[in-house]
Amino acid sequence: MTATRWMRGENVRPVVGVVVTAVYLLPVYWMLNTSFKAQADIFERPPTLVPVPPTLAAYQAAVFDDPDIARGLANTAIIATGTTVLTLVVAVPAAFALARLRLRFVTPALLLFLAVQMIPAVNLALPMFVLFGRVGLVNTYAGLIIANCSLSIPLAITIMRPYFLSVPGEVLEAARVDGCTTFGAFLRVALPVSTPGVITMAVVSFLGAWGEFVFGLALATGDELQPVSVVIAKLTNAFGTRWNELMAVSAVVAVPVIVLFVLLQRYIVAGLTDGATKS
Amino acid sequence: MTAVLERTRTSTPAGRRPRRRGGNGGNYLFLLPAILFVAVTVVYPLVYNVVQSFQDVGLKEVINGGAEWVGLANYADQFGRGEFWQALWLSLAYTVGTVVLTYVGGLGLAMLFLHRFAGRNVMRALLMLAWILPTVVGANVWRWLLDGSYGLLNAALRGLGLIDGDVFWLGQPGPALVSVVVATAWSFAPFAMILLVAGLQSVPGMLYEAARIDGANAWQQFRHITLPVLRPVSITVMLLIFIFAFKTFDTIYLMTGGGPGGATLTLPLYAFQEAFEFRRYDTAAVATTLMLLVPLVLSTFYFRSLRREETA
Repeated sequence: MTATRWMRGENVRPVVGVVVTAVYLLPVYWMLNTSFKAQADIFERPPTLVPVPPTLAAYQAAVFDDPDIARGLANTAIIATGTTVLTLVVAVPAAFALARLRLRFVTPALLLFLAVQMIPAVNLALPMFVLFGRVGLVNTYAGLIIANCSLSIPLAITIMRPYFLSVPGEVLEAARVDGCTTFGAFLRVALPVSTPGVITMAVVSFLGAWGEFVFGLALATGDELQPVSVVIAKLTNAFGTRWNELMAVSAVVAVPVIVLFVLLQRYIVAGLTDGATKS
Repeated sequence: MTAVLERTRTSTPAGRRPRRRGGNGGNYLFLLPAILFVAVTVVYPLVYNVVQSFQDVGLKEVINGGAEWVGLANYADQFGRGEFWQALWLSLAYTVGTVVLTYVGGLGLAMLFLHRFAGRNVMRALLMLAWILPTVVGANVWRWLLDGSYGLLNAALRGLGLIDGDVFWLGQPGPALVSVVVATAWSFAPFAMILLVAGLQSVPGMLYEAARIDGANAWQQFRHITLPVLRPVSITVMLLIFIFAFKTFDTIYLMTGGGPGGATLTLPLYAFQEAFEFRRYDTAAVATTLMLLVPLVLSTFYFRSLRREETA
């Protein structure tokens, strides 16, 4: 009986929703909570549910005063930005071509890009380490950006193509009639109306590269170029029981993701749900 | 997530596309950089990797080149090794566990967030945080939650009187494997939820109406209407999660490093260890080549199920 009421229960649902969401995101809260605690407070039993008094000591010690972490963050920002730019330059025209131009082999090309997304990063990281070593790309920003792009470009093409598909063909035809080249029609007509798609794929590429771990671990052999994800992994033992500091670093890595997500979740989530429901 | 976008949008009727005039060589220039890029950075390394699996490649050969051809010797070596089979077995256990937990969790969330109520969209979006959070963040937070002495989980269990003293979840083989499965499923389930909500929305309300009139209870409706109608979406979700989970490296590496004593050393970690710790690039290539077969076979299933849906 209660089960039936629950299935229909319009009144209970918002409450259950809030509780489930809160419990689900407890790990995220716990990260923030811990990061604002003083070192001594994390050893309290039972742990305190709010940091009283909150302190930025962990952030100060682990992020601002730690050159390794600061450098890791800078590296990650460089790699993620480079990946996003290169992905946009290569993937946007390709997505346009696959959506709007007369080409042969459209289906095999799409399948190729789709299949690449199924490939484990480890499968690429190992041969890349050997091959990049031969051409001097190991331990360079370029090498890390190229490695990240190997997976982000195919992903970006599959994200972007539907947006170009929804550009009305007549508009492109009209542009051509008016004397636009194909490239002109792409640049001045198709691209502006597909801005949401470009934003979505840029965000997805950036977030992917921001959190990337495997390529960084395999291809950034020296300390200088390691992304922050790898720096954290290396410092994990050094952190020992300084959980507040580890959580502060984690929070700093998570913040750009959370900010982008909050600002652009309309693109990210709407794109997802849209895509999934239109079938 | 994009695989799904692709699936659904390709079904745009061909008639909506513009009529395209004569083939133009210039058109290929738009596509060429992407194809070349993927050929050089994905296809070539993959092929190279397969070649390496038939050669004798140690650190010396990596630096100087000149690897010798050894035929199937590396494969024979791996197939004769208990560690390899254990890694394969652990990979399957981890993957199946993650698929089951993600699907059940995702379906539960989807059922809850299917119906309209105040704040539903915000909550649904918030849950997606777990999916987009960098794995290095998620993995470290989970390590902290599961910490034996000061972790939140043990504090809660102690409070409930379920455990006494410290339990080191990541320090024991079985619990460690379960822990990485839970952490992985935690991040995957919201993604599954989004897809399953879409699937649930396609269940005609009439069916429930009719079932209610016939006196079916909630469980019977779920069992005999929801699950069967949801089947194609469920298969897609499970295949995708299987592929994602099978290739997972970072979550496990960061939470347990493959330990304790190799208890969570799945195939991707095993391959990485062969290459970067033992400098056995050849046997690592064997492991990754075999690893590739699983997503390959499953993607074939996936593409086939997409085509069936498209023609349906």
